[in-house]
Amino acid sequence: MTPIPTSATNSVRAQENYARRLVHQLDQSADQLPHAVLERLRAARVRAVASRKSHVPQTAQSFQQMGSSLAITPNDGSSSWSKLISFLPLLALVLGLIGIHELQNDRNAHELASIDQALLLDELPPDAYTDPGFLKFLSLPNPQNADNR
Amino acid sequence: MASELELADFLKGVEKRAFKRSLYHVRDEEAALDIVQDSMMKLAEHYADKPAGELPMLFQRILSNTTLDWFRRQKTKNALFSNFNDFESTENGDEVDFLEFSSHTQDTEMSESAENTVSQAQNLQEIEQEIKKLPARQREAFLLRYWEELDVSETAAAMGCSEGSVKTHCSRAVHALMTALKARGIHI
Repeated sequence: MTPIPTSATNSVRAQENYARRLVHQLDQSADQLPHAVLERLRAARVRAVASRKSHVPQTAQSFQQMGSSLAITPNDGSSSWSKLISFLPLLALVLGLIGIHELQNDRNAHELASIDQALLLDELPPDAYTDPGFLKFLSLPNPQNADNR
Repeated sequence: MASELELADFLKGVEKRAFKRSLYHVRDEEAALDIVQDSMMKLAEHYADKPAGELPMLFQRILSNTTLDWFRRQKTKNALFSNFNDFESTENGDEVDFLEFSSHTQDTEMSESAENTVSQAQNLQEIEQEIKKLPARQREAFLLRYWEELDVSETAAAMGCSEGSVKTHCSRAVHALMTALKARGIHI
């Protein structure tokens, strides 16, 4: 009979040896699985590997699309989605130009309206500005006229 | 990135143990098959871009999580919910001398006779029964560490616990199995 070591290291080693002999028995159990179970496992494995096939190309394609859209370069035309992404910057530029044009039109109209409003609200009739005599009167340096107004 | 062949070979090598491991937990053959199939699908769909060397640890973690999800669903359905809550092992004060078993087996020789084959099959059943009786965390640590041959750090990562906990669970599991099998008169 083998003498019994007392050190903790030997005890741990013996524990691991026992565990490995135990799982060796479990290996035998796993090798004796029924045929139906083995077939189900095989089918599951095949399905999983097929699933990998369908996922990996999609991932690669998505990276390709991302790269083409970032570079703003036309794709090979195989994907309508990539075409749409390529046109987005152009669409944004056109919409921006239209917006700027409308804004400038509004600003000009507002300026003209404010001038018209000032003329209409003034006590002096607008026709006075077309009278040459009135214009000459305005050019005269006469402070009394200004005070009387 | 694992190739298609590497993935297929890995799954082929691990599928039987995965099924048995799941079966020890859920004790339902159909459920165990479903869990293994779901785990394979998750690995292939979400981790196909990982290197082949990372597949074992990833798969074991997925299998553990899928098994846990199964128990959660069962609990939600108010169905049979056995002893998966028993994550915390009870303290086993019985000291077991591993070396007694070790020395015993050194004197034992394997026989291929028919009688021994029947005896081995019976022993195997009893070993599996004792493994099923282990607390869930101890069983998980024992199977990952010794059957799946993950090292302590990989087992800890797969179980989501510390390396110290793995060592404790493994030690207690082996002690419990050794005591129970000795009581049944089974020497390995």
